Amino acid sequence: MRFHRNCESRFALEEAQQIVIQWPRAAKREDLMKLTRRTLLAAASSAALLIQPVASAAQELPRNVRLVIGSTSTGGDTYQNSAIVAEALAEQLGINIKVDAVGATEAFKALGRDSRGNTLMIFHDQSYLGNLYGVTGYADPFEGYTVGQTVAINPGNAYLVGCDSPYQSMDDILTAAANGDRVRVAIQPGGVSEIGFSAMKNAASVRAPGSEENIVAVNTGSQSDKNQAMWDDLADVINGSIQANEQFTQLPADDQKCMRFVWITARPATLEQAPAAGMGNTTRDQMLQYASPATSVTLDGTQDFTFDKEFFFLYNKDMDPAIIDQVDAALTAIYDKGAIQDRQKASFFIPNFLPADEARQHLTDKRETYAKVIEQISGGS
Amino acid sequence: MGNLGQVTIDFERSHLVFPILIGSILALLGIAILITRRDRIAASGPNWRQTFADMDKLRFFGTLVLTVLYFSLMVPVGNFWPNTGLGFLICSIPYVLATGLLFMHERPLRQVLVMLVIAVIGPSFVWWLFTEIFFLTLP
Amino acid sequence: MEFLSIISPLFLFLVVGGTFVGIIFGAIPGMTATMAVAVCLPLTYSLGLENGLALLLGLYVGGISGGLVPAILLGIPGTPSSITTTFDGYPMAQKGEGEKALRIGICASFVGGIVSLLALYLAAPSLAEFAIEFSYVEKFLIILFALTVMAALSTDLLMGIFSGFLGIFISLIGVYDISDGGNGKLRLVPPGTEYWLDSGFSLLPVLIGVFGLAAILDQAELGVPKGQSRGDVKIGKGSSFSFSVFKGQTVNLLRSSGIGTFVGILPGVGGSAASILAYSQAKTFSKKSANFGKGEPTGLMASESGNNGLTGGALVPLLSLGIPGDSTTALLIGAFTLQGIQVGPLFIGNNPDTWNAMIFAMLVANIAMFAMMYFAIRYFALVVTIPKHVLFPIILMMCVIGAYTINYGIMFDVWTLLIFGLFGWLAVKLRLEIAPFIIGFILGPSAEIYFVKSLESFGTLSIFFTKSWIAMLLWVLIIGSLTASIYLSRRQAKIAATG
Repeated sequence: MRFHRNCESRFALEEAQQIVIQWPRAAKREDLMKLTRRTLLAAASSAALLIQPVASAAQELPRNVRLVIGSTSTGGDTYQNSAIVAEALAEQLGINIKVDAVGATEAFKALGRDSRGNTLMIFHDQSYLGNLYGVTGYADPFEGYTVGQTVAINPGNAYLVGCDSPYQSMDDILTAAANGDRVRVAIQPGGVSEIGFSAMKNAASVRAPGSEENIVAVNTGSQSDKNQAMWDDLADVINGSIQANEQFTQLPADDQKCMRFVWITARPATLEQAPAAGMGNTTRDQMLQYASPATSVTLDGTQDFTFDKEFFFLYNKDMDPAIIDQVDAALTAIYDKGAIQDRQKASFFIPNFLPADEARQHLTDKRETYAKVIEQISGGS
Repeated sequence: MGNLGQVTIDFERSHLVFPILIGSILALLGIAILITRRDRIAASGPNWRQTFADMDKLRFFGTLVLTVLYFSLMVPVGNFWPNTGLGFLICSIPYVLATGLLFMHERPLRQVLVMLVIAVIGPSFVWWLFTEIFFLTLP
Repeated sequence: MEFLSIISPLFLFLVVGGTFVGIIFGAIPGMTATMAVAVCLPLTYSLGLENGLALLLGLYVGGISGGLVPAILLGIPGTPSSITTTFDGYPMAQKGEGEKALRIGICASFVGGIVSLLALYLAAPSLAEFAIEFSYVEKFLIILFALTVMAALSTDLLMGIFSGFLGIFISLIGVYDISDGGNGKLRLVPPGTEYWLDSGFSLLPVLIGVFGLAAILDQAELGVPKGQSRGDVKIGKGSSFSFSVFKGQTVNLLRSSGIGTFVGILPGVGGSAASILAYSQAKTFSKKSANFGKGEPTGLMASESGNNGLTGGALVPLLSLGIPGDSTTALLIGAFTLQGIQVGPLFIGNNPDTWNAMIFAMLVANIAMFAMMYFAIRYFALVVTIPKHVLFPIILMMCVIGAYTINYGIMFDVWTLLIFGLFGWLAVKLRLEIAPFIIGFILGPSAEIYFVKSLESFGTLSIFFTKSWIAMLLWVLIIGSLTASIYLSRRQAKIAATG
């Protein structure tokens, strides 16, 4: 039920936890609404032409744009990112852009309904990971929509253990699994939170085929649930984030709540762009110790697995591509000025602008890599 | 207690556990109600006829019809001026006016004019407040 | 006292202004404290951390408090946590004691706010330490405890409980939410309706449908009669307010504030459970429990001190664990990250000035809330003098705004309003009971997730009894509360039969 979004929800810093799944394709509503809509539109379209004699040129974004996001929280990373981008874009183009935190399901629906460019969307890797994990109703965004520009990365995705854990590193964990010990990992299934877990299983199977069976998921929800799972001794390793969990790593070791990082999934190139001071009392150099190549979770025996949570635009499939070009040009100008990068870095985001074509290629490749990982661990065992 | 309460829940099917549990309790309670209240339920027919006869049908169904119209028109009208909230504004004015008139008992011209003024000012103020000041999305 | 340098006229203005705007949001059915904070969050970027927090905390306190106004005067809860306020506040207003009820509610809110603020200030870290002792099992039992109020609220026990379970059942429609730990699969969704029902019915539209639209439909059915109820009630007609109502209520106020604070501390248990639990305990312990639901000030006090007790409580896990206690405080995390401040177990120690400023802002907000609302009562109360043919259309329109904006623009939420308006109207005719229904609906999803997760994690039903001493204590309370309400309902039935 939807009220969890607005009334009682356990929001957490990580957006991954906020995702609501399933949007049966928009077609169904179209069928039901066809009659009313068509008649109404027919009756009123002539009137509309009269009312709006100076309709904005087709290839441009309209004056009032609604930017829907795949999260329902206005305090989370997707919202913050989108708000920063929306503000800069609105200023650059001289239009109004309103960010609406409607959540993945509703955002995709709203985007699917509007091909005029009045509705745009920003979301992150969850959009295709949900599909890859076969979460009910999650369609392929590369097929149903147009994937556009990337704007930033949240480099925070991490895995942690309790301070009293016998595991000091990912290597310990994978070795333990190879030795037949069960390692329980608390994640939120079906997306960004699960992909690192899948990578662990994959690495275990590369190192010692069959040992991936010993890495098991504890399916939880928000960050608070994952932390709680560790404190209740229901999980040995939890998925978390630098932002939400760093302070727990600074607690005295005898504190029940104390945690240690074992793995930060970001690409080293991404983390290197983070402020040198890092976050809290953990410097960038310390973070790099937990990321590839210092901490290796192998992809195929030669390369390391990495995951960056990237935020990107999504467009209606039938929208005029000229609008995408317009956003390309506007974002290029914005990123050339450089102010947006400072704002993003201040909120611990890594600026990462790629024009639509490049971004699409990059994300398609990324998706392919993860598709293979997911396929291997589900098919291989 | 040990093994007696043993339950294994398969995560893939865990979405059905609670609905089945609650559904069963609901069914049991429903049966209990049917049994204990069967006389009253059997005798409810005339009651319903009475309710329907006493109903102010014009005002009741009028409210429903106006509300359904109001809800259905908001979005299509709003689509002509996307993301401005005008769909809400344009539909609210006649809706407030019409329901207001429907609920009035006598309709002297003065009262009707007052209602008209309220129907214009009320929605306009609210529209202005929420779209311009609080920057919320309206249809 | 370094933090005193933070307290500027601007700071005070923002707290007071925030409280004022918050009250307005809270007072509009369907607009919540969460939304007030969400709407103003972007402003805090330019205000700086302390001033931004001043504004947001003012909005938070105001938003939670404002809900009592429509709850009492119109019988429509302004926010989900003021649901129990309608049970006794609205009957009082109908008896012509609207002004008195408002004053009682505001005083109780103030007490709740201050008690929870004290708890926050004096004991945040140790309370947080205690809160993490609550695993899925204990959280389920807390919800179960709150659900026992369904029995206490029923006039006809069997029908009441049936309605409550129906509420739970309907709340399960849609996906088993992944973000709460579910598996994201649909259930109870009739084929063909997936497009609308995939995330089920939203709470607020259901609430304002059942309480707001249904009441108006009811009036329409009666032909919007002129000479009774709302429109022509003289506000001051009943007995007038004096502080002596609070005589003998110290225990009730403290217990309810304490319950509110404690429920606030538990992440994920949620705000409405606070006032529901406070209300049901007040009813269980009260000598006048038969009057509950008919305009008993004790119930009103419990509800309002409980829901304002939430404000301080929900900040405890936020500021000492970095985990929000409710959805509004979740947004506060956004305000901190916008300013590059981490919230977590080290927050208070690392940012003593910010911490003190926050406490001070909460204090000012509570005082401002009290002052503004207490003295503005006669203006609020004017609502009941507006003729119905003007009031009803405006309420309907405001309900639409509330429903549409609650999830940032989803039309189905508006239709939900109509569906549940009709349902609420029909339910009364079917002798279903609305109060237990809505409580089941509010608590259903949390009950599910904690119940299923407990079994998933521990694999045995016995865990509910053996997990910890907290679990056992909760069972004692649950059984006590159930026995009391069944006994009371029997006694009432007997009195009704003989009298």
